[in-house]
Amino acid sequence: MSDPINDPVICPVCGKKAKTGSAIDCARHMFGTGDKPHREWVNAQGLSFIDLMIEQATTPGNASYQILADAIEKARPKK
Amino acid sequence: MNKYTVINPHSKFTVLNTHVHNIDGVAKVTGRAEYTFDIKLPGMLYGKILRSPHPHAKILNIDYSRAMELPGVYGVVTGKDTLGVKQGIWRRYKDLCDEQILPVDKVRYIGEPVAAVAAITEEIAEKALDYIDVEYEVLQGVYEPLDAIKKDAPEIHEGFERNINVTRHIEWGEVEEAFDEAEYVREDWFKCGGQAHMCMETRAAVSSYTPEKKMTIYSSNQSAYYMQALMAGVLGMREGDIRILAQYVGGGFGGKFELDGAIFCSAILSMKLFRPVKIIYTREEDFIATKRRTPMFYYVRTGVKKDGTFCAREAKVFTNGGAYTGMGATALYLTGFFHSFPYRWKGYRYDGYRVYTNTLPSTSMRGFGAPQAMWCSEQQIEWIAADLGLDPIEMRRKNSHHEGYEVPGQATIASCGIDQCYDEIKSWIASKGELPANRSIGLSACGFMSGGIFNWFDTPYSFSSAVVTINQDGTVELHVGAQEIGQGSNTTMAIICAEALGVKVGDIKVHSGDTDHCPADLGAWGSRQTLMTGNAVKMAAESAKKQLLEFAYAQSGLNIVYDLDIKDGWVHAIARPERGEEFVQLVRKALRGKDGQRIIGRGYYTPHRKGMISPAYSYMLQGVEVEVDEETGKITLVDSMTAHDCGQPINHLGLIGQLEGAFSMAAGYGYLEYMPYEDGKLMNPNLVDYKMIRATEMPPANIAEIDTYEPEGPYGAKEAGEGLTNPTAAAIGNALFHRFGIQMKECPVRPEMILNALKEKKEAQEK
Repeated sequence: MSDPINDPVICPVCGKKAKTGSAIDCARHMFGTGDKPHREWVNAQGLSFIDLMIEQATTPGNASYQILADAIEKARPKK
Repeated sequence: MNKYTVINPHSKFTVLNTHVHNIDGVAKVTGRAEYTFDIKLPGMLYGKILRSPHPHAKILNIDYSRAMELPGVYGVVTGKDTLGVKQGIWRRYKDLCDEQILPVDKVRYIGEPVAAVAAITEEIAEKALDYIDVEYEVLQGVYEPLDAIKKDAPEIHEGFERNINVTRHIEWGEVEEAFDEAEYVREDWFKCGGQAHMCMETRAAVSSYTPEKKMTIYSSNQSAYYMQALMAGVLGMREGDIRILAQYVGGGFGGKFELDGAIFCSAILSMKLFRPVKIIYTREEDFIATKRRTPMFYYVRTGVKKDGTFCAREAKVFTNGGAYTGMGATALYLTGFFHSFPYRWKGYRYDGYRVYTNTLPSTSMRGFGAPQAMWCSEQQIEWIAADLGLDPIEMRRKNSHHEGYEVPGQATIASCGIDQCYDEIKSWIASKGELPANRSIGLSACGFMSGGIFNWFDTPYSFSSAVVTINQDGTVELHVGAQEIGQGSNTTMAIICAEALGVKVGDIKVHSGDTDHCPADLGAWGSRQTLMTGNAVKMAAESAKKQLLEFAYAQSGLNIVYDLDIKDGWVHAIARPERGEEFVQLVRKALRGKDGQRIIGRGYYTPHRKGMISPAYSYMLQGVEVEVDEETGKITLVDSMTAHDCGQPINHLGLIGQLEGAFSMAAGYGYLEYMPYEDGKLMNPNLVDYKMIRATEMPPANIAEIDTYEPEGPYGAKEAGEGLTNPTAAAIGNALFHRFGIQMKECPVRPEMILNALKEKKEAQEK
């Protein structure tokens, strides 16, 4: 898990630090932005941006955001 | 007879907080007020618009040569005569600027403009439409959002996968942990219908383009500045070369601050023909070819403790966006935000999805997404109270906002009178005693914003500005960009100016609705003008007053520890009010002292550090007494009481009018104003089949006004008149619940729905 204060997660596409700096906030930022570069990055991780979004929309809970947050954590450069 | 009571009244004002008739009332009732409909210019032509009969089709060819042969026809325009600009009010987000008002290659809803004709009479223009030949390739349409997100659904806009137009997410707290704390969780699905704005004045414009490359447009709109800027974008002109005039506007309700076919097509025709062109929409056109309140599908999961403490809430919403974005993206956010109101949630999560369909675009409408939110929220809360055997008022009270509460990451509540609202509604219910067997009472709470902070329009101007100029005879010219649309904005601004300057309302002449002479202002939407323009007016008037009092000090020879003031046109030392002089005398002296230059005060307002949504929030609780005929399912509203906190009322007459108007519109949304579509076609685009509440059906609209003080508002004022569109539908639903034990999940509630619910309940009981 990242440390949102000392080592905040930065969006791998646009470099923005989302709200608290946590991976889940970064995932929300990516869904919220939803433009072509962000979608392509998500798809390049072996996920489907649109399927995650529909899943988030049609089922209770936060599963899609969590899946994307995990992918963001996984893709972070190792220090 | 309506009853109006003021709780906690203040009496420190001279003009404000009284009952003032609208300053334009006489001009309106004597027919002298000139609306766009009344405008006639020399050489003016009349325009009519040809509309798509298909919900989804490619435009292959448009041949208007036969129309041009018709005597009296001067010209025809199609998308090819335009710059093809995809426009929208979200100028910061180009993806959301998706509408060509005269599309070049594709139509996306029935009623979309395809071509426009100008002729010497409206009748000839109408006839000429029959002579325009349009070749279409009809495409498969999709009409419901839950169908439009399916994998095999037709693509409405290129690049918008599964037709998802916009998404919005709001979250605070640890939602799942907060749900774990809950001892009772309830889930429900709701469906909320659309609603027509139904302004008395349909969309209308008269455009006049001259060889000097200047455009003058008379237009029925909610923001002259928005119209000017948006038209500059689609016409490739400079804003300053376009003048928008909108002195009198017959209603807006959220439907007139985007470009429409009337303004765009009249301007394009005028540019082509160098003649003024007038386009007035018929009522049917207003129904099928403008925009509407956003229909929504709402999933709500709420977790509470057994003692009624609210823990967590999750909402997922699909909205039927129709063919274009309009203001729908803001409505999508606000519905999620106000779905949390007026309560404190430890954990809150909202996911909103706006989906394109081949139907009339949806957009903002009075309440801006909140009526739908409250329809779902306030009914579910009532059901939870019943499930847990709790008093629904006390359960609401213990979870409500209060002064100083922060909606996490979103807003800080600086004034909140909802606690007293609960007391007032409780007293009203108690005063009713035992109701007849066919009647019941339902109630619903809500809060609403006082203007939006969001600057999606990307204006470089202040959100509101005002200029006060004092004439040598003591009369005052007040220039504002605020838009008078029948809500009494000019009167409100005159009162604030008079109070701040210390003169009478009759001394103020308000100039608005003219971009050549009034400062830019975002206009009349989101309940922003009283707070935002009101602050600008107060600042401008106080600036002018300060300049005058400097002269008064200089000539008085008073010890500087004494303060001077102006009240009711009398300039005086506060400690010795009998010693002073007339305002007009001081003005004349000041003019001489300034080498004849008039006293001018300037004011402006842009919110800063006020959270994500709005500088201030109003609060209210409404109770409605409902009678139902069990044989027909017909609903009759018998009585109502609204307890309402709008901070410091500016004008009680204006406030009463706004609250009554909002209530009638909200009641219509709750049980009358149904918009059925079949294959993308609205089935009742007329005032015979589309039912609105009539004067004879209006119950008493009693009001208890709870005066509070909002530090951000002018003299402590905040929103009134839009927020009350929010609670009524749910209050009606709750009355039905208390009478029959039925839970209505779709609005508007129609008689057949009540009969079906009663039948189902009876069958279940028999089993």
